[in-house]
Amino acid sequence: MEILRIEGLSKIFGSGHLEVRALEDINLSVSEGDLMALLGPSGSGKTTLLLCTSLILDPTGGKIVFDGQTIFQKNGWAGVDIRRIRREKIGFIFQSHNLIPFLTAKQNVLFPLSLIGLRKEEAESRAMELLRYMEIADRADYLPALLSGGEQQRVAVARALANNAKLILADEPTASLDTGRGMRVMELLKKIAKENQSAVIVVTHDVRMIEGFDHVYQLKDGRIIDEGQTQN
Amino acid sequence: MDLAVYDLKLHRGRFIATVLGVGLLFTIVLAMNGLYRGNINEGLALIKATKPDLWVVERYRGGPFNEQSTLPEFYHYSIKAMPGVEKASPFIYYTVERPISGKSRHFSIIGYDVFGGLGGPQKIYAGRNIEEAHYEMVAHPKLGVRLGDRIPLGLHTYTVVGLTKEAVSSDGEALVYLSLPDAQEVLYQRDNEEVRSQRERLLRTLSGQSYLSPSQAEKLLPKLQPDTHIVNAILVRLKPGADRTEVSGGIEKWLYLSAFSTEEELQLMLKGRLASMTKQLLLFRTLLLIISVIIVALVIYTFTMEKIRSIAVMKLIGAPNWVIIRLVMEQSLLLTIGAFLFGLALIHNTYQLFPRTLLLVPGDDLVTFIVAFAGGIIASILGLWHALKTQPAMALGG
Repeated sequence: MEILRIEGLSKIFGSGHLEVRALEDINLSVSEGDLMALLGPSGSGKTTLLLCTSLILDPTGGKIVFDGQTIFQKNGWAGVDIRRIRREKIGFIFQSHNLIPFLTAKQNVLFPLSLIGLRKEEAESRAMELLRYMEIADRADYLPALLSGGEQQRVAVARALANNAKLILADEPTASLDTGRGMRVMELLKKIAKENQSAVIVVTHDVRMIEGFDHVYQLKDGRIIDEGQTQN
Repeated sequence: MDLAVYDLKLHRGRFIATVLGVGLLFTIVLAMNGLYRGNINEGLALIKATKPDLWVVERYRGGPFNEQSTLPEFYHYSIKAMPGVEKASPFIYYTVERPISGKSRHFSIIGYDVFGGLGGPQKIYAGRNIEEAHYEMVAHPKLGVRLGDRIPLGLHTYTVVGLTKEAVSSDGEALVYLSLPDAQEVLYQRDNEEVRSQRERLLRTLSGQSYLSPSQAEKLLPKLQPDTHIVNAILVRLKPGADRTEVSGGIEKWLYLSAFSTEEELQLMLKGRLASMTKQLLLFRTLLLIISVIIVALVIYTFTMEKIRSIAVMKLIGAPNWVIIRLVMEQSLLLTIGAFLFGLALIHNTYQLFPRTLLLVPGDDLVTFIVAFAGGIIASILGLWHALKTQPAMALGG
């Protein structure tokens, strides 16, 4: 089942001689269990596309269909609560983990669960289950500052999975990790995509990390210049 | 999930230090409240304790406490003769600084007719009232005297026969009650050399007059000595059923004096001597509250700015605005309430150590708390504004 479809998406910053066309005529689609990579050098529009996909940035034109519902078209967001979609259907993984520093590993995973109104006992059990899945349950009560980079990223992945997200957006998830740890995170994302049937979109500049991805989009100057898939 | 508390747990050292710092400011605000109440209470205590039906003073003067008033002592006979007056008693009140038990003490002396006159102490908690015409005193324990102590004042020594706490002077100093002649003697007692020199000067002036022989000048001399039978007010008790306004109107019309009810006397003090102090204290309290709110605002702003990336993450994850508002506002209110409670506990345990009386009233504490609470909400606005303006996109990137 298709999770996200983007048609003719564009984003223009500024106007007149200050106009910058950050994205132009972007078309892509991702379904349950798919792994998609967005590649490109700095300034190619990867992050802008991720912001639009995250429902944070208003596109200038085009259409976004999420989980079968048109949520953006020419006239703007189609009367949907975009924060609610983010909290209930999207999971985020960041380059620098972005764990909330004053919450323990378990509390970081509990936070999105508290936002969707899960009962405390249920939320606690789900959080521990995710931490076990990420093999970091023994660090559940540690503050992020006491965890290594790899451990922090595993907690971040657990947090992204907490709401059973249909779409997981990962912004350079391996950038702050060494190659070995980076590969392990990527393996984890692949496992999640297959086991949870979540669509995973990864923004990266490191082609070594996207082996086995179903879709790879190469961006340059705001346009998709190449589309394909990688081999296992 | 209580994010504010989790954050404060992590920064507990800084939070506690801030609570103590702001708490000390609240202590000063609460102390000012107590000082304000104490100032008014002390300023009015003697008037309330004495409480005659009328205070008769020099014409067009707001005496005897708000400003100076002097009257010949014998005026009480004229006032007593007015229709509606049951009793009229001379009353004298002045402030002195004299050595008591080896220490220089500032206190106020009240002189009154000890044989049934008005103006004496009403409640004696130890000993008895003055019963002799001379050399007995009733004092406030603030003076540092005990029952039976013998205190030299001027030419004579006075025995402390009673202790009273019901009033202090309008400056918060101890009160000493003496018989009227004793009080007048202590007040008007002049140095012997000065008396001699004044007499000689007067005699020379009189002797220089062609219409006086030297013997006539000598005879006239005692008549021209300064009169010490001066009082500051005459206290009046009205006959049952007498109309206060009518009696005071009569005294003003026929005796050319001013007459005030106790309520009017209180108002004179409130609008006169006590007014500037009251305004001053109000200004200080307002300034301190503003400073407290600014400090809380800056601390909360700093706390919020430190969390700005986390707030961006929360927004990106889809946290509704109320989660962010609760985080910022709860910290602001915890800080304000914590500081207020610390200030409250501190002042209620130390108010006895202040040199002036602090009268702490629950109503004042409550009003200060409400103002501080509102201040805490206002203080969080700057941090809130920044937090709500934060773009979730900030969470992306390195």
